[in-house]
Amino acid sequence: MIFREVEDGDLIARARRKDVEAFNLLVSRWEKRVFNYLLRLVRGREDALDLSQDVFLKAYQNLGKLEDDQRFGPWLFRIAHNEAYSFFRGRHPEDELPAEAAAAPSRYHMYPAELSVVVEGALSRLTADQREAVILKVYEGFKFEEIAEALECPVSTVKSRLYTALDVLKEALAPIPSRGVQ
Amino acid sequence: MSCSPFDLKDYFFGELAEAESARVRTHVESCPTCAEELDRLRLTEGALHSLRQEDPPRRIAFVSDRVFEPRWWQVWWNSAPRLGFASATLLAIAIVVHSFARPVVMVPVPPIQTAAVQVPARAVDASRVDEAVRAAVSASEARQAKKTVEMVEAARRDIEFQRRADRVQFEETLMLLQKRYNGLLVASADYGGRP
Repeated sequence: MIFREVEDGDLIARARRKDVEAFNLLVSRWEKRVFNYLLRLVRGREDALDLSQDVFLKAYQNLGKLEDDQRFGPWLFRIAHNEAYSFFRGRHPEDELPAEAAAAPSRYHMYPAELSVVVEGALSRLTADQREAVILKVYEGFKFEEIAEALECPVSTVKSRLYTALDVLKEALAPIPSRGVQ
Repeated sequence: MSCSPFDLKDYFFGELAEAESARVRTHVESCPTCAEELDRLRLTEGALHSLRQEDPPRRIAFVSDRVFEPRWWQVWWNSAPRLGFASATLLAIAIVVHSFARPVVMVPVPPIQTAAVQVPARAVDASRVDEAVRAAVSASEARQAKKTVEMVEAARRDIEFQRRADRVQFEETLMLLQKRYNGLLVASADYGGRP
């Protein structure tokens, strides 16, 4: 992990000097994570791909503004976050954020594919803010401070969104046995 | 230690310092409620990880891919004819030089400064890349704007279609009611006509 960070730092330094091949390598390293983050947020492959493309273009344009090369990840996800929310605002100009509600079916004794459907259903019950916190923490493995940096909000806000989301997800995915669910 | 759910979640996500983490671990061993809560968190996380990371459907095309495509003459120059062309050129030069330089004069040839011979690096024209990035961003913004307009237009069409469908249905319902009403009138007239 440390070696990887050093390598990323080196690539960033080279990309700052307009070494496009170095930036291309950065793109290939981060594109899957950025794509999956956007995919789970906007839930459309083509939209996620378009937004990923925009994220890397804007990252290239603004690389000079990155103050600390070691914070490239949170910085890149901040751009992705801004792109995703611009996308939401374009789609739902009158609302703050979409908050879809979908009933999640019961989850136990399922095959992996079925469980995935249940998990997607459970995630769709969260607000976009909560879902984003879950994606960045559980799937992307960022620290609270890094998430706060990416979302430009206090750590306490991140924790609040994440823990509220977890309570919802627990009810759907790991209900208390004494409530009659296996 | 109290059964603070925030401590437990911080512990679960590995966000506590080692000393505090050890305290929570000790507490969980003796607290069935917290142990159950921790199990539920692990179950939830396990379920969440059933969603696999997907590969992007196609590679994200960075703008430089096109900018740095070799020109036609670069492709030609890097292809097989290059060696033949260079050999022919050298031969032609040798013939010309030989024909004009009959008297053989031994001229000391200065040693070649091999260290000074460098392969010119592929020039990265930053302004071209920046220009291409700007163009791509503008194109992307235009694409998003176009998508929004299309969505609004599609929504408008849907509403119009729904409105027409409602009107047709309303007219059909009205016609049906009219027929029933007429039927009732006829029936009542028949009934009224009986002695």
